[in-house]
Amino acid sequence: MNELTNIPHWYLTLGGYRLEFNSETLIMSWIVMAVIIAFGVMSTRKLAFLPGPWQTLGEVMVSAFRGLVDDALDENNRHYFPLIITVFLFIWLSNMLGVIPGLSEPTKDLNTPLAYGILGFFIAHYAGIKTKGLKAYLNEYVQPMFFMAPLNIIGELSKVVSISFRLYGNIMGGSIIILVVSDLVYGLVLPPALNAFFGLFVGTIQAFVFTMLTLVYISVQTK
Amino acid sequence: MAFSTETWVQAAAFLGAGFAVGFGAIGAALGEGYAAGNASRAIGKNPAMSGPILKNMLIGQAVAESAGIFALVIAMLLAFLNVEGAPMIEAWALLGSGLAMGLSAIGSGAGGGFPAAEACLGIADNPPTQGALTTNMLIGSAVSQTPAIFGMVVAFMLMFIDWSSQPLWPGWAAVLGAGLSVGLAAIGSGVGSGMPAGSATAGMARQPGAATAIRTNMLIGSAVSQTPAIFGMVVAFMLMFVDWSSAPPWPTWAALLGAGLSTGLSAIGPGIGNGFTAQEASMGIARVPESSGPVTTTMLIGQTVAQSTVIYGFLVSLILLFIPREASEAMVAWVAPLSAGICMGFGGIGPGVGEGLAAAYTVNRIARNAEGVSVLLTRVMLVGQAVSESTGIYSLIVALLLLFVI
Repeated sequence: MNELTNIPHWYLTLGGYRLEFNSETLIMSWIVMAVIIAFGVMSTRKLAFLPGPWQTLGEVMVSAFRGLVDDALDENNRHYFPLIITVFLFIWLSNMLGVIPGLSEPTKDLNTPLAYGILGFFIAHYAGIKTKGLKAYLNEYVQPMFFMAPLNIIGELSKVVSISFRLYGNIMGGSIIILVVSDLVYGLVLPPALNAFFGLFVGTIQAFVFTMLTLVYISVQTK
Repeated sequence: MAFSTETWVQAAAFLGAGFAVGFGAIGAALGEGYAAGNASRAIGKNPAMSGPILKNMLIGQAVAESAGIFALVIAMLLAFLNVEGAPMIEAWALLGSGLAMGLSAIGSGAGGGFPAAEACLGIADNPPTQGALTTNMLIGSAVSQTPAIFGMVVAFMLMFIDWSSQPLWPGWAAVLGAGLSVGLAAIGSGVGSGMPAGSATAGMARQPGAATAIRTNMLIGSAVSQTPAIFGMVVAFMLMFVDWSSAPPWPTWAALLGAGLSTGLSAIGPGIGNGFTAQEASMGIARVPESSGPVTTTMLIGQTVAQSTVIYGFLVSLILLFIPREASEAMVAWVAPLSAGICMGFGGIGPGVGEGLAAAYTVNRIARNAEGVSVLLTRVMLVGQAVSESTGIYSLIVALLLLFVI
């Protein structure tokens, strides 16, 4: 059960500050990035009218998300589409990684979901200011009354907290229960079934939920 | 009679195991019973589909039971835990662990019953949609297990982290408060995130063509209904991972326990209220698929406003946790922070549900008549919510008075 509290660290001293890195999260994120880049290259290398298998896979994903983004955002903000699909691919592949023995989900470390939550927060607010103008954007905070401003600000900040802790809690919870059940029963049936449920099923749903919420936050800001 | 520390820790482990599976069994049983009852109704409507309905009921019940199974796993671990040489604070941590898991399983178990029941009814009404309904039921009830998973994460941390670096006073209140905070907060969110899953499944049976829009709305609605549980988890993390050894034991323990209760209790109402809103939104999109844009926007606005009482609770928790207190064993010094937490906690329940209902019926009407009245209805909703929030604001004022004036 020691895996739960044991975090592998890399240390780096830079200008008098001691920086601490979670090496596992970093390596696993790099694996995910490498897979996404490889997929991107494979699916666009030989674009043809009759698509090959990789191009087909790429087209299926793009067209599925294209529809969702077009529903949520107006014409001026559809250029956020590559961001949305990249967030989905990264988080989804991260969640899938735990199914492979020896690898672990980078999303199990709170820092990864938090980074994506903060990214989405800033992009949503940037999109809001750009679409509505600074005055209209600031005016939103004093709705319906001026004294609601602190509440509105806390409400906005709480979105970052909720979106990232939701992903972290689900992935962490799944990996904990897989670890514990494998430790208790040494079975052949139960741990793979749990891996299928938490890794493949819950991992996919939560990646989709995270992506949709990022999209909805942008959409609410730009309307 | 004097007991050794080990005996106390062992006793707490057994007690925690009892709490975990005792509370944890409530919700799953309710949810499964609701699913079974509706399966019978469905078979009564359409006996020819009895085979698929029965199969769907069993699958749905199995997913709704997973919160109960998490509780069982925690209870087994607690019952067979090796407590040799554990410090006294471990006893409180184990008690908190059992409460976190047990309480958090109540809502998710009950919530998982809604999609299972609606899927059975939907199969009876519209047999060709069977596959889509079962899939949506699985997704919906898996999402509504999330609050129980939050409780489980905290329960594991309480069980397996070495607490000997925290002092017994006020550390015991921190670990117990962490368990209560995440456990109580998950109740409302568990029920709330099951509601949209149920109505989305029902809606898909009526309007299979709008399945994608309904499912997207369901996922967003469920996810937002879980925000109160996430506040509970964040407070639990702060209670567990802040070093309390430099704080004066009295009255800090009361503040820590109060912090857990404030967010935990106040999260129950908004969780359920957000569920009502999301339920009507999914149903509204099923009725009029073209209305999905204004319905989703109004749902999000209504849910955000309905969450304000849990944000008050969170605010009171932060004040209780991080404003330093002078050492004092006077009764007022510890009763006041504890009462502030309890006051804000209970005070947040009602407004959360009430504002959620206000938003729910607004969303229902906007779905039916999106073009004409959506601005007017949104304005009425905000005014109504502001009025029903006033009792929550009273609680906040009393809590702040207790904290800063007395």
